[in-house]
Amino acid sequence: MNVTIHIIDGPLSDEPKPLETMSAGAVVCFDGVVRPSEHNRPITGLEYETYDPMTENTLHQLAGRMRDEFGLIAITVEHSRGFVPNGERSFRLRIASAHRAEALRAMEQFIEQMKRDIPIWKRPRFVDAQA
Amino acid sequence: MLFGPQADLAGCRELHLTVGETATCAQLREMLAEACPALVPSLGESRFAINQQMAGDDRAVRADDEVALIGLVSGG
Repeated sequence: MNVTIHIIDGPLSDEPKPLETMSAGAVVCFDGVVRPSEHNRPITGLEYETYDPMTENTLHQLAGRMRDEFGLIAITVEHSRGFVPNGERSFRLRIASAHRAEALRAMEQFIEQMKRDIPIWKRPRFVDAQA
Repeated sequence: MLFGPQADLAGCRELHLTVGETATCAQLREMLAEACPALVPSLGESRFAINQQMAGDDRAVRADDEVALIGLVSGG
């Protein structure tokens, strides 16, 4: 299996999940990190909500389409569920391909489509709402 | 079923609507707008999932279907 999806409770670990890189000439990794503010309001972090198992299933379908469209070797997706404090990783996409161009294009397209189509929601926890 | 900001707007995570035997997702959207006006601004860009599969507006809604409103998604 060269598409793997991981929905993880809380922040992602510093250590990425395995990616099949045999025969790859390029491995591209994107880490999404929770910013310290939303619309200029400080936040303690983001609360992520998923619709299980549809979220995992649709991520798998999207990754499969990217693999087929761009001729990729492997894709690994990690996404958080639940609370992720600011400064921590909530999303990681790793793509292995024969050459860099298709991995970079697939990376951008995957993220665009994920943000538009995949059932994942986030809510900021504002610092000033905790007073 | 409602999620994320739309659940906040509606003030609940589930809404129970009574629909006819020939109701479609398009009609469900209209009923949702009537039942929960706070959702109206986001309904146009929302889709439905039925039994965890994306469904078009012409998809019929049957008894016992699990219907989820998929809107304002924001992964990453």
